[in-house]
Amino acid sequence: MVHEDYKEMIPAHALSTLDSADERALNEHLEACAECRRDLTEWEAVAASLSLTADPVTPSAQLRERILDRVHTEPRYGSEKSPVNVLALPSPRRNLWNSLGSLGSIAAVILFAALIIAVIVLWQQNRTLREQNETFQLLTAPGTRVAQLSGTPEASGATAKLAYDQNGRAILIADGLPRAPAGKEYQLWFIVNNKPVPGKTFAPDNRGRGIVRDQVPAAARKSAVFAITLEPAGGVAAPTGAIYLRGEL
Amino acid sequence: MANDVELLKAIAARDEAALAQLYDLYRVILFGLLMRILNNREEAEDVLQEVFLQVWRRAADFDENRGRPFTWLVTLARSRGIDRLRTLAARERVATAGAQDEAKAVSDATSDAFRSEQREAVNNALAQLPDEQKRLLLLAYFDGLSQSEIAARVGAPLGTVKTRMRAGMMKLRQLLAGKGSDLGF
Repeated sequence: MVHEDYKEMIPAHALSTLDSADERALNEHLEACAECRRDLTEWEAVAASLSLTADPVTPSAQLRERILDRVHTEPRYGSEKSPVNVLALPSPRRNLWNSLGSLGSIAAVILFAALIIAVIVLWQQNRTLREQNETFQLLTAPGTRVAQLSGTPEASGATAKLAYDQNGRAILIADGLPRAPAGKEYQLWFIVNNKPVPGKTFAPDNRGRGIVRDQVPAAARKSAVFAITLEPAGGVAAPTGAIYLRGEL
Repeated sequence: MANDVELLKAIAARDEAALAQLYDLYRVILFGLLMRILNNREEAEDVLQEVFLQVWRRAADFDENRGRPFTWLVTLARSRGIDRLRTLAARERVATAGAQDEAKAVSDATSDAFRSEQREAVNNALAQLPDEQKRLLLLAYFDGLSQSEIAARVGAPLGTVKTRMRAGMMKLRQLLAGKGSDLGF
């Protein structure tokens, strides 16, 4: 494809309606083409104007309080995906052999590698701490509900707790589950009015402990049955395997 | 009253009052957009909360050289709304089918950041597009469908869909040119 081909794709990209192969190709071109990036800014404004064709609707007054309460108590995160307003530019290419031309450069490369490793280690630690912090916040948030799941005859020693806040952010912690056979995973289900809604899948560790974060559907937050079944890895749309854990609220 | 760019800078400096002010300015337009996408009040409020939490966390990433605050906020809200729509669709939407709410339009001019003439300008521009172009733009924007999915939905060849969408967008840009600096034209 040539520049003009990419230019023609930009309006559809602004609507985020390009098929994935086209989108990948255009994103590569955008990294190198300032003119197309400027075009994209204009087309994004055209696309955003379509929002004004939606009828204006007022959210509940409580939502404002909830948002302000949250921002008042929460630390700022550093790793969330940036909004679309900022486009990453390509990093300049480096010539490795030139960089190795002197001992000083070698030392710099080693130092740089050590720094990268340290950053990765810190990032992993930070991610773990952030997950622990999020779990703690969820468990201690006002209005958090906890469902106790008990093992069925398929796994009589297994137990689990499913905690979720008023926005449906949930964490499931299961213990004592048998190891999942190859090609199989456990899957969480939200059952509302006898209809199972699929949740995420997980595989327990060697001790039978499995942890999974999910989003409880709005309709399941007040009252639902929660179940865990053994399913093909990756999960299924409707349950096919036996129930290993079950509980309700 | 501070303008939107100043508000975002203040939010980046952790000014909670600025976030409250931005929320008051945009809640109606963004909630209307999310209701149109999700057609469910509870889910739409949940996503609107996510949007403003992300604004709080990432306001420093806003670059005024890359577009207006209106475009940034609307694009963020739409993206989150479409993500939630896909999550619900993956769950076959069975759980929310009984809980859908009708979007009730309200007159709340004091808190809506956009004067009615700007809405009118966009609606008038859209009304001037041929129906087959208008339908494709709305399917892409509010339903989050890809061009292939739209082609399958409307039963038209993919090439035709691409041509019509591009023509529709070009016409829309032409009709909206100079119709409102807040929109970014």
